[in-house]
Amino acid sequence: MTIKMLSVKDLTMHYTTSRGEVSAVNNVSFEIEKGQSLGLVGESGCGKTSIAFSLIRLLPDNAQIKNGEIILDNENITAMNKKQLLQVRWKGISMVFQAAMNALNPIFSVGDQIVEAIQAHNSDINIKNARVKVAELFTLVGLDPQLMDRYPHELSGGMRQRAVIAMALSCNPKLIIADEPTTALDVIVQDRILNQLKEIQKRLDMSMIYISHDIAVIAEVSDRIGVMYAGRMAELADAKTVFNAPIHPYTYALLGAFPSIKGKKRVLTTLPGEPPDLLNPPSGCRFHPRCPRATSQCQQEAPPFVEHKPDHFAACWHPMEVKNV
Amino acid sequence: MSDTNALVTVEHLEKKFPISSGLFKKSNSFIHAVDNINFEIQAGSSLGLVGESGCGKTTTGKLVTRLYEPSDGHIFINDPEMGQVDLASLSGRSLKAFRKQVQIIFQDPYESLNPRRTIFDTVAEPLVVQGLGNIAEREEWVADLLEEVGLTPAKSFLFRYPHELSGGQRQRVAIARALIINPSFIVADEPTSMLDVSIRIGVMQLMIELAQKMGVSYLYITHDLAVARYMCQRIAVMYIGKIIEKAETEELLMNPLHPYTQALISAVPIPDPTFQRAAIPIKGGVSAPIDPPDQCRFYPRCPRADDFCKNNPHPPLEDKGDGHFVACYKV
Repeated sequence: MTIKMLSVKDLTMHYTTSRGEVSAVNNVSFEIEKGQSLGLVGESGCGKTSIAFSLIRLLPDNAQIKNGEIILDNENITAMNKKQLLQVRWKGISMVFQAAMNALNPIFSVGDQIVEAIQAHNSDINIKNARVKVAELFTLVGLDPQLMDRYPHELSGGMRQRAVIAMALSCNPKLIIADEPTTALDVIVQDRILNQLKEIQKRLDMSMIYISHDIAVIAEVSDRIGVMYAGRMAELADAKTVFNAPIHPYTYALLGAFPSIKGKKRVLTTLPGEPPDLLNPPSGCRFHPRCPRATSQCQQEAPPFVEHKPDHFAACWHPMEVKNV
Repeated sequence: MSDTNALVTVEHLEKKFPISSGLFKKSNSFIHAVDNINFEIQAGSSLGLVGESGCGKTTTGKLVTRLYEPSDGHIFINDPEMGQVDLASLSGRSLKAFRKQVQIIFQDPYESLNPRRTIFDTVAEPLVVQGLGNIAEREEWVADLLEEVGLTPAKSFLFRYPHELSGGQRQRVAIARALIINPSFIVADEPTSMLDVSIRIGVMQLMIELAQKMGVSYLYITHDLAVARYMCQRIAVMYIGKIIEKAETEELLMNPLHPYTQALISAVPIPDPTFQRAAIPIKGGVSAPIDPPDQCRFYPRCPRADDFCKNNPHPPLEDKGDGHFVACYKV
């Protein structure tokens, strides 16, 4: 039996800027089961990180959740006050950021920072026990526990990212959000971190949202994949379906534009135009100016995000025919 | 010189950066960023230089464009009029004149374009430096080239500023600037790694098309093997200042011989959720190239290493047939 861990419904979030309202996240809905990993993929500015920050309500002052509901394990995050939110962050949802150096305080040792996080959420634990817990976490993420007294600048990029992952795991979160955690790392280090993250997530039966612009990385870690474009969810299905039988033209284009070192050298396809300016998004379907299948309907009306096939959602008026593979 | 027909022949190229400790102190240690490397690029063919951060690929790019002074070695460029000229031996006016042949495109189009100069000023600058054309001619040439790189209509771009353009458009401006004086050789240092997927392929295809049309060869520096596969006929893999393997692109990807290349290739994520990659046998991380011991640079991490590797100098790059070179005693 599957247990629903996170449910996001009709999430809409805007940034207010001096040039107007930026529609960063628009009517996004998805669910994650316990122990499941969802990959969110899309280009810069498509709203993937904005969704992550909305989930933990860690938004800048100019951001506003206009509409929607975020339910984590039967608790409504959208309705919480500041105090309740403090309890949800770390324990309910924790986050691994892209720039590990910025996520760590340079003047405290990495171990002390994790101890602080543990103590802030478990007032009954003493320093000694917290340090034992940190040592366990370090072993879990493949770091030598002796490194816990080192300062961030003494660690390599890969080690820092592992320390940040250890910190994210420190309060046994129900959901971990990893926002491009390996983007700044070299492939061999990336490979190790991805494997470790995948293994830990499965072993602890945690839910995970993995955010990346790189569909190859997403393919490695995700059970399900959500493809985002210009603040909207374009397509959502299990990983194999998204790769083998995508129905949204944007997903199709994204897959066709990705070079691979395996298999025969394919001709790469490119999309015309540029991603839209969300201060002034295109009318109707936001993808229509670049879409080969667009019609006048697409210009006028935004397609609803609906289930086109069992457990295969997309927002498109003219979805692609699925070839039977 | 092994091949007098090659467009670019790099021989024994070396760059050591001194590590100075404190004011006035003489430095005794050196970072061997580029350590005795050799490669050739044939006219009309591009070489991909791949490796992890800190392996010396960008330093190599800056050396062959003489933005850095080589510590040792030669960079021969085949000039249609003067034959083989060693760029490493040139200085002053003769070096400046030779820059007509060799141009560079940088990674970050937000940093490589001067925000206070118009697109026209930026693209025309090499013409001004080389004293080519009058103002009217320059404007015509720049407009033509902007059309070529897909910034159409060119007239609407000429007098705009970089901040008005998107990342992809800026990189097209950088490409136009590199091409405006008809160079035969361009060093492209991760020119697409800052761009989004849907934009990136367009820029890559543009670079391939222009290379064929204008007869340009690239030294294409990238950390991404998949990108190198699409851009280059040959690939050279660098590890701590050394080229450890080079071959035809498909040969290198399908049949890597060096244990490091094998690890690098198996670490690349594959856009296919059903694909299971093999585990990587190598351990540890990249060490800093500060006065490295005289042994194989990969020795501390190599799964195949033995006492022979430990006690012998870094292995030479040897041809294993069909132009597949590898520097390893255990192949």
